[in-house]
Amino acid sequence: MLVIRPLQESDLEALYAMAQSAGKGLTTLPADRDLLLRKIRHTRDTFDQRCAPEAGLYLFALEDTELEQCVGISGIQARVGLDEVFYNYRLSVTVNASRELGVHVRTPTLHLSNDMTDTSEICSLLLSDSHRGGGNGLLLSRCRFMFLDHFRKHFSDKVFAEMRGVSDKDGRSPLWDALGCKFFDMDFTEADLLSGLGDKSFIAELMPKFPIYLPMLPDEARAVIGRVHDNTAPALKMLQAEGFNFNGMVDIFDGGPVVEAFIHNIRTVRESTDRIVMIRSDKASRNWSAREAPGEGGKGDLERREVMVCNGSFQNFRVTTVPAECIAIDTISLSETVARALEVEAGDRVRLAPLKDAGLNPIYDRRDTNHAGKPSRA
Amino acid sequence: MWVVRPAQPDDLKAVLELAGGVGPRMSSTLPAKDEALAEKIQQSVRSFQGTNDPEEGLRFLFVLENSDTGKVSGVAGIDARAGNGQPFYNYRKDALIHASHELGVSRRVEVLYPSHALTDHTLLCAFTVDPALRGTDAFELLSRARMMFIASHRHLFTDHAVVEIQGVQTESGRVPFWDSLGRHFFNMDFETADQHSGALSKTFIAELMPPNPVYVTLLTPEAQAALGRAHEKTLPTYELLQREGFQAGAYLDIFDAGPVLEARTDSLKTIVASLPGRLHGSPTEDGELCLISGGTQAQFRCTLSPIAETLKGDVKVPVKTWHCLSLDAGDQIRVSPL
Repeated sequence: MLVIRPLQESDLEALYAMAQSAGKGLTTLPADRDLLLRKIRHTRDTFDQRCAPEAGLYLFALEDTELEQCVGISGIQARVGLDEVFYNYRLSVTVNASRELGVHVRTPTLHLSNDMTDTSEICSLLLSDSHRGGGNGLLLSRCRFMFLDHFRKHFSDKVFAEMRGVSDKDGRSPLWDALGCKFFDMDFTEADLLSGLGDKSFIAELMPKFPIYLPMLPDEARAVIGRVHDNTAPALKMLQAEGFNFNGMVDIFDGGPVVEAFIHNIRTVRESTDRIVMIRSDKASRNWSAREAPGEGGKGDLERREVMVCNGSFQNFRVTTVPAECIAIDTISLSETVARALEVEAGDRVRLAPLKDAGLNPIYDRRDTNHAGKPSRA
Repeated sequence: MWVVRPAQPDDLKAVLELAGGVGPRMSSTLPAKDEALAEKIQQSVRSFQGTNDPEEGLRFLFVLENSDTGKVSGVAGIDARAGNGQPFYNYRKDALIHASHELGVSRRVEVLYPSHALTDHTLLCAFTVDPALRGTDAFELLSRARMMFIASHRHLFTDHAVVEIQGVQTESGRVPFWDSLGRHFFNMDFETADQHSGALSKTFIAELMPPNPVYVTLLTPEAQAALGRAHEKTLPTYELLQREGFQAGAYLDIFDAGPVLEARTDSLKTIVASLPGRLHGSPTEDGELCLISGGTQAQFRCTLSPIAETLKGDVKVPVKTWHCLSLDAGDQIRVSPL
């Protein structure tokens, strides 16, 4: 079984191994033990409420309970730009027009901006190769929205994600080569690494402060502004399905887009609902799955009908997935193992949200079929 | 003899020929179109007479004439105040230091700032001469006659003088600086923009120019190389102006990034070295060749003449020179060594 829980010190080695195999392009989690340990401690302080809410860093681990190992990670930074300066370019338009000459020219322009300051960011998603597929990436990403929803007062109304921009297999970014390196005098991976290590002030000091007129950049650099790296396309699609949109900001290094959404508009948040826990024995659960599992649509159908369940604990936030068949009108029936993993007892209130975004919401689908007394359908 | 005198409406045809032969770059100050040029000459005539509308500004046009044949072989101008009541546009090349203490990095970043700082400075302009005369005494006469005019009409001009020098243009007519910057914003080729800048009010420049500073490092290498560089053809002019005391500063032309030369009006060599005197006769044609000018406003003339002797303010020159200047013995003149 896979369970989301707050990251802890014992996850360090697993995290280091994942960061190493992720390689370049993941600025927020470089393979550096000291830095990772600092991040874990920061996370512990946050969940234990030993630091101010706006300084919080929430990192979640995806634990494989059979392996007893962390196999993925995702995070939320409560606020960006409070102790350092947070930079983006805003992609906007400069219009020059002369009525006298009948000329009207639009010039796309990059303006250096700190507009995302004081906004919550979702970040640091990393999944070990052995656990790709089966909705694990979705669980890692979407569990954060359940947390954001539960503890809205710790976060801004709006949440954003910076998407990795275009770079080639050698780590060369066309935008960096055309713009950044003319001011920084270092290659993209080095600059990106420095930025990840938290040395962001150097950016402030070396950055061009005046607007950049895009026609002055080479075509290949202009083409990547607001575009994501091929590896990031699925993540972008997933966020778009949640209601995230490009907000006109791009990364100052590689031109990757920033997408944002208001928390109350995020699909997972909108479609989530509460249920009271009922607990059945593990033995009964096995019978249950044996009866329900050989469904009509095969594996894909099963996955689609999986539902995320989270407890309401701040300090010990847990999320896992259960089949939609466990859901009744006011209650959800959890096996003893699942209940233990979620640290909930019978009578506790839990929150549910569909794992996948395709098709009917399985939570309500389930309720409706129960009402009608008909067998559940695909 | 070569003589420099105010341009007259009759000079239109000759000036038009000169203007047509110099390529597109001069068109802002010397349009190669009948009506536009005729109007420029009219404005100049009004300026010399002192009858012009205060709002249109003082713009003087001089021609270089061979007094024996009457042929006009050059033209040169002065705008008493650059911009003539409107903003005068330039880029100012400046530098910022982008430094990071933490990283031990310090970097000089060059920036072009749009500027109007040279507005209202006295502007020498429209200098065009028959290519055969380049580098000759006549060439020097035409250029420096303007300084003689300023010296004798100092109250009309400001304390700073500037000259725009034509920038780099390839043989095929491409202007690298324009292609790298201006073209994107004006959406027209260099020649068209340059013609507009001569023919229309300068409002279109304000409307179309990029409003924010521009990083030099983002220009094409070819455009960067052209910053502040004079067109080869203008080198004789450039050198002459340097000898006169003009220096290239931080300002560049907005279209081709040619250098803008600056000087303090009262420090210009011709003005410092010139002396007022009275015209006097000399029986011989011996003596040092000097610039000699006389007459005020529309009667202004300037020529080259051997000066035999200068005694107690009496300047002895051949009578031929009197005729050339349309002056008589005892009239006020001004001389400056060549």
